[in-house]
Amino acid sequence: MKTCPHKKQIGIVGVPPLEIIEQLEADGDTIFDLDEPIVKRDIEMASSYLPRVFCAILRTVVINTISLRPDRIYIDVGPGKCDCALHTATILKDILPETIITTTRNQDRKDFGTPLCSARMPLLDKVSAITKSVQSAKPHKDLPACTPTAGFWGVPPRDFSLLSLFPDTTHVYGWTRCMENKTPDNQKLEELCNPDIPTVFFAQSFCAKTALARHLANRHPHGLYVDCDVTAGNSTKAKIQAFLELSTLQKSKGGGKQAEFCLLSSDLPGF
Amino acid sequence: MLLADFGTSYCKLWDTTTKAPQLIATKEIDQGLQVDIATGHNGKRHASRYINELTALAKGGNALIDTDHYTLLDCGSRDIKFIRYDQGKIKNMGWNAECGASMGFTIELLERYYNLDFSVMQVPASSFSVTCGVLGMSHIFDAVVDGASEGEAVAKFVKGIALNAYNFAGSPETLYLSGGLCHNPLFVASFPCKVVCLGRFVLLQGLKASWDEQKY
Repeated sequence: MKTCPHKKQIGIVGVPPLEIIEQLEADGDTIFDLDEPIVKRDIEMASSYLPRVFCAILRTVVINTISLRPDRIYIDVGPGKCDCALHTATILKDILPETIITTTRNQDRKDFGTPLCSARMPLLDKVSAITKSVQSAKPHKDLPACTPTAGFWGVPPRDFSLLSLFPDTTHVYGWTRCMENKTPDNQKLEELCNPDIPTVFFAQSFCAKTALARHLANRHPHGLYVDCDVTAGNSTKAKIQAFLELSTLQKSKGGGKQAEFCLLSSDLPGF
Repeated sequence: MLLADFGTSYCKLWDTTTKAPQLIATKEIDQGLQVDIATGHNGKRHASRYINELTALAKGGNALIDTDHYTLLDCGSRDIKFIRYDQGKIKNMGWNAECGASMGFTIELLERYYNLDFSVMQVPASSFSVTCGVLGMSHIFDAVVDGASEGEAVAKFVKGIALNAYNFAGSPETLYLSGGLCHNPLFVASFPCKVVCLGRFVLLQGLKASWDEQKY
């Protein structure tokens, strides 16, 4: 990967605090999102450093880091990310002494808004744009919201190919919405969803969020829980495809409404 | 119109101009066979239109089951799938191609190897804890070494497979069963719930439903 030789190579993991992103933008350094599969290497390469039964995204972080050897890494490890990231940071500090590794605990509360989450756009492009927006402190462009026909709740998957199964009118919820809003530690926003649209509740395998995803899927009037490790297998894709197809055969209770609720609120009727 | 469910061990073919579907061993299928609509692991290369197996199962269930609240479990040669409807809406579904798999294939293998007749075998009081047909076979070998008869050991294995499938489907009060194991009395009797057997051709009914939707 070609970069300007005078610029530093900075890796980010999760959503670092806004002040860090603002500084990186001002400095003009090259930023890599280490959560994404940048380096095409077998995930087994991470097995020397992390157990195989571990979040595939953090295993990807390790592969990217040892291959790219950035000058510095900002890794969010607080309530806006997870303990697995904290332990991964400890390991990276140990195995890469030449890389400056800074842990952060993003608890930003300024809402940037979530226009991409509600826009009409292929879901794969939408989630790519959301993950890319983490690297910038600029305000979001205004985008008109579309009428939703499906929901995707969760984190950006390690295998983006499963996002191509969704219609362009899919609204995004869960931690991906928190990413666009730049408030990764935002439990209320993370639990929000629309009970009127068939929604896939997704989590990476071995992630603590599997518990919340499955619970919300059970509470949702029309939800499906899916978890996935490194790549989405044929049966996982078939489940999503069948769920979305069969959902269109049913009379929609109120399809087209954009009412969004937190399913865990005791004030909501019927849940 | 020719519909086909291309399974791992058996292919179910239905020429809708004839009365009944046919069952043909997959290894005997003409590799050049082309049908109008297909489902199953090997279906994509044999048809211009392919339907996802879960979709075919759900549509077949809707065509055959006269209630809007049901759990339908399909136990195939190498995987198990279920769908659950509640008030006419799809509520949950699952497809286990790894853990809990290789059921039908393993049971048929054991039947032939030990020359067993499942129609005369009793449901045992206990079972092996089985989450995978392949790994579960070690329980059979251990039991035989410890003095159990081959029939007793295999019966416990079959019951263990049935209980695993029952739990996978969400432990319903009534289970609609699809697949070749409908014809295995020991397997069917091992479920701790009411079982309604629908036979091997549920997915074909689902393919027909898809075809009819397309026409109208």
